Amino acid sequence: MERLQSIDEFHGLCERLRVDRGADELPTIVIPAGTCGQASGANDLIRITKRTLLERGLGDRVRLRITGCHGYCQAEPSVLVEPQRTFYPRVGLDGMARIVEAVAEGRVLEDLLFADPASGRRVERQDEVPFFANQRRRLLARNEGVDPIRIFNAIERGGYATFIRLLESGRPEDVIDTLRRAGLRGRGGAGFPTWRKWQMLADQDGEQEKFLVCNADEGDPGAYMDRSLLEGNPHSILEGMLIGAFTTRSVEGVVYVRTEYPLAIKHLTIALRQARELGLLGKDILGTGFAFDVSLVRGAGAFVCGEETALMASVEGHMGEPRQRPPFPVQRGIEGRPTVINNVETWANVPVIVGEGLESRTGESTDGDRGTKIFSLVGKVANTGLVEVPMGTAIADIVYGIGGGSSSGKRIKAVQTGGPSGGCIPAARFDLPIDYDSLAAAGSIMGSGGMIVMDVDTCMVDVAKYFMNFLREESCGKCFTCRKGTQRMHEILEEISEGRGTLDQLNLLEELAEVVRDTSMCGLGQSAANPVLSTLRYFRDEYRRHVVDRRCDAFVCNHLVGAPCQAACPLGTEAWRYVAHIARGEVEEAYRVIREANPFPSVCARACDHPCEERCRAGTSGGTAVAIRALKRFITDRAAPSSYRPQRRSWPAGEPPRVAVIGAGPAGLTAAHYLSLAGCRVTVIEADAAPGGMLFCAIPSYRLPREVVRSEIDALLDENIELRCGAALGRDVTIDGLLEGGYGAVLLAMGAHKSRPLALPGEDAPGVFASIDFLKAFNIRGEQLAKGRVAVIGGGNSAIDAARTAIRQRDVESVTILYRRTRTEMPAFAEEIEAAIEEGIVLETLVAPTKIGTTNGVFSHLECMRNTLGEADASGRRRPVPTAGSEFRLELDTLIVAISEDSGVDAITPARGGRIEVTDRNTVMVDSATMLTSRYGVFAAGDVVTGPNTIVDAIAAGKRSAAMIELFLLDRPLEMRASGCLPSVYVEPPPVLEGEGADSARVETPRASVAWRRRNFAEVEVTLSPDEARREAGRCMRCDLEFTQPLQAELAKVGG
Amino acid sequence: MITLTINGVEVAVERGSTILEAAQFLGFPIPTLCHMEGLTPYGACRLCVVEIGNGSRTQLASSCTYPAVEGITVRTASVRVVRTRRMIVELLLASCPQSKTIQDLASALDIRQQRFRQEHEDCILCGRCVRMCAEQMAAGAIGFRGRGSYRGIGTPFDVTSEKCRLCGGCMYVCPACQLRCTYTEPDAAICGGCANLAPPCVNKPRFDDMMCYLKPCVACEIKPD
Repeated sequence: MERLQSIDEFHGLCERLRVDRGADELPTIVIPAGTCGQASGANDLIRITKRTLLERGLGDRVRLRITGCHGYCQAEPSVLVEPQRTFYPRVGLDGMARIVEAVAEGRVLEDLLFADPASGRRVERQDEVPFFANQRRRLLARNEGVDPIRIFNAIERGGYATFIRLLESGRPEDVIDTLRRAGLRGRGGAGFPTWRKWQMLADQDGEQEKFLVCNADEGDPGAYMDRSLLEGNPHSILEGMLIGAFTTRSVEGVVYVRTEYPLAIKHLTIALRQARELGLLGKDILGTGFAFDVSLVRGAGAFVCGEETALMASVEGHMGEPRQRPPFPVQRGIEGRPTVINNVETWANVPVIVGEGLESRTGESTDGDRGTKIFSLVGKVANTGLVEVPMGTAIADIVYGIGGGSSSGKRIKAVQTGGPSGGCIPAARFDLPIDYDSLAAAGSIMGSGGMIVMDVDTCMVDVAKYFMNFLREESCGKCFTCRKGTQRMHEILEEISEGRGTLDQLNLLEELAEVVRDTSMCGLGQSAANPVLSTLRYFRDEYRRHVVDRRCDAFVCNHLVGAPCQAACPLGTEAWRYVAHIARGEVEEAYRVIREANPFPSVCARACDHPCEERCRAGTSGGTAVAIRALKRFITDRAAPSSYRPQRRSWPAGEPPRVAVIGAGPAGLTAAHYLSLAGCRVTVIEADAAPGGMLFCAIPSYRLPREVVRSEIDALLDENIELRCGAALGRDVTIDGLLEGGYGAVLLAMGAHKSRPLALPGEDAPGVFASIDFLKAFNIRGEQLAKGRVAVIGGGNSAIDAARTAIRQRDVESVTILYRRTRTEMPAFAEEIEAAIEEGIVLETLVAPTKIGTTNGVFSHLECMRNTLGEADASGRRRPVPTAGSEFRLELDTLIVAISEDSGVDAITPARGGRIEVTDRNTVMVDSATMLTSRYGVFAAGDVVTGPNTIVDAIAAGKRSAAMIELFLLDRPLEMRASGCLPSVYVEPPPVLEGEGADSARVETPRASVAWRRRNFAEVEVTLSPDEARREAGRCMRCDLEFTQPLQAELAKVGG
Repeated sequence: MITLTINGVEVAVERGSTILEAAQFLGFPIPTLCHMEGLTPYGACRLCVVEIGNGSRTQLASSCTYPAVEGITVRTASVRVVRTRRMIVELLLASCPQSKTIQDLASALDIRQQRFRQEHEDCILCGRCVRMCAEQMAAGAIGFRGRGSYRGIGTPFDVTSEKCRLCGGCMYVCPACQLRCTYTEPDAAICGGCANLAPPCVNKPRFDDMMCYLKPCVACEIKPD
């Protein structure tokens, strides 16, 4: 290309380009092909587009523009059609060919458009897609319009125009003034006011020639906004540096770019060459005598070289090591010459701000607007990508409004900002505005703009360990405290995550972190403490869980989890072990393993919510979980409870003590059983006519047959246990009476039996039932209370139980469940909901009752409103919001209210009367470690403490309380040392046959046919066959072998 | 002349002095490891950190590299500084417990234990040997290489150096192997310091015949002050 010799020639070029483009608004296919686009397949789309345009001769009707990254990385490879701004996300090869044709014919392809994930509604224009709509894309929008390897394209879009205007008639002071009013602060992380840095450089009046540096050594893991600016619009950075050179009278520029950005290097190299050829860089630019040239220096893989003094050392050819400041780079920089170093995003902002500033010389103040910042939003968020928002935007708006909330469906716990130099901000503080000062006050930093979203499956100890490992590797090593400090902090975090941590080490970690922060010479060391200090500040309880309880609740730290199925079970059942036995055909051993941990194996085999399956690695690693509960059912159906003989101990000292247990539910009976094994004499006092609690009176028999419950309970009762039914606390016995009557301790295990009311008038009308009362009436007394058209309000297991019970009752025509949120948010077990729908129960979601209607005093109809899901609240769940004008009416005969249960005033009042403290949710308050209530000698466990909960949690609480009561009666301190739950028993794996193993499909739980189910209460689920069980057990990935095989090898060596 | 305040005392020093020089001029004790008269200051050991500034906006910086600036306030033994020094000595003991210099530092601060996993390294990467070789001996045979926990000192690519004149200066200045035994029978040495000897520029196996390159072992020639 011809070199431009003067500013007039530049203007001439601009005019020619404008004329060439003409007034035509030809449709243009824009394909973002930054690094992420190319990695997702944009190159194929480009190839197809070019080929289609050529083959169909459409080249003069449709244009193609290849650009850098637009920012919506989640949706790449994507296509944007201008000028309509039609947006097609995740385009496939077939889709691309269709799009080209559609564009030529002026059509829009509905089926390829963006679909809103909640409503399914199609959105055509990119600016209305939620990800884009809530951004202010001052810089990123330019990436859409510019082809980075064509300088004429950049000039046509306004590139270099601001610089030329300055050359013509600008003054350096005005540039500084514009930057000052705009409040531009360094975007690399430190946030130093740019105008002031440039002013200091401009004021250096020595003889040495000045340097400008663009810091493109973007090293933070997960941050790539600089990359997309360099790839997408390199001329904007060059223009920024030219403006900087003009303002500060610098003559030489360096772009220090990391080697790991090959596309950015390529585009920068091309841009530099083209700019020099055109005469916009070099000596005597456009004949004005102004000289400035830029060279490219590539980094060599050191994160520390992003620090300015280390960067300068690297440019000079030395090892990237920081040095003391003062003297600052503006005084003595590269080769001792005055130097200003700014971040890529800062440089990219300069032409925009200065250009706008020159426009609005009318004195319009831009003080309030502090500009925009680009964040790279990554992690467990639905829409990942680059996000440009005004400074001061709240974190919640970015994570939910733009990011679309959690990608996993689990609750978002925290965001990590600022990369390895930054810290974590917990979800409770997502209202924080994002700016330099507020983030620093919260213990993090803005940094370069990385934002990693974390959910409850992220372990914060692991996060700190990860960043500390990174910093340890990247520390240059000069400062003793940084080098050794990062190494030792990583060591300590490793010990904590492997279960060898102590509480003293937490304090040591904090102390050490502060020393590293205070004494390091450069920013890497000074901010190395941030990941540790911020996670300790906001998530100290997670550290304590790791250290004291030896648990990782996010199931990340392998040495604390062991086999996830075992770690997830509140009882610590070795699920992997009995599954292993089943795979080997060893039924009795399997039963022993189950029963050892759980006194109610048959019950759990039918009604447990199987947290083990939720965590099964076969499921979490992309396949489907092993059907552990079905396997348990297989075993418990083959072994009689009486075949297991637990180990009994006798009371070590003197007369065996007596313990009173109030409530014969799973918690109470479990506690009674273990206390009996310890040698105590237990009296179980139950208010209902038969033992079992919710197992008997609430859970329907098609799920949990009565005989199963009864035979399991009978197996637990022995001569140490006396069962008294029909005796209620308060009415027949009192806590005072028991303690004075020779009982050494009392355990409250009355459960949660009182339905929570809807709090609507008319709830006491005939025909309206609380679900617990409805279920008890049927299960205990056989009364079929449901008639005609039945509606059940609620979404938990109680609601499903009530609905499936109702539909089997004689006089019932139809059953509808009304739930105020969506099906995915219903707390009931998924398989229960599925079974209910199979049986013909209608599920109506997003409905809330507003009025209970009666006719002649009897329930006759329900007035309702429809909801939509509104804004997410602090926990990240979207709130149901009534839709105006959506009222409707249901004519009904029976209404069952199943929204939740409370522990019940009637059970609590006598407890309260016994001086037991109660929470405002009507549950008994206990010390979670000792299970003691506020009254000495009185313990509490189960739903009466937690509110409605699962069976296995109740059993675990019963077991733990028995251990505590035993310690109490032996007059020992009430503490239990946390033992790890690592697998320790070796079970040899059988050979896996072809077609089996974790990749094979999960067995379908056999169920009775729907027609047969409808009219009786016989058990719906059927046991697996032996072959099915063996195959299913063979799917287990044997997570235990990692721990038990080495032990086995050791034993074999020793000859054991 | 530059005027600054150290521990409440105003002092005027020549332009170009460091805070360490100013403090030593006044007689305030600041411990150092990587600093040595005659070598350019490096700032690696961080022991000499002092608190600079006023009120809530103070920072710690290594006094050996920080230039004396007009009007600044410096404190050489504030709470933050002392706490930091103690932690640094603990870290030193955790890495290099057999060095007498480090043991002496620990005794001076009354530190008897360290809370980390014990390592036995024989180099704390203070860089004295590198600077000695480059600046005083004008040889430049050894230098730093590697980053972070892989950082070390040696000749380029571990090839026996041609520039090395076997002057022993590197060992002379090394704080990890300074002030070792004063006996001519190293086996009976009190501190066993000479067992640390690992001259970086000479290709010898460790702990072999006390790995002297001169006979007798030059450590025996070093007399205590």
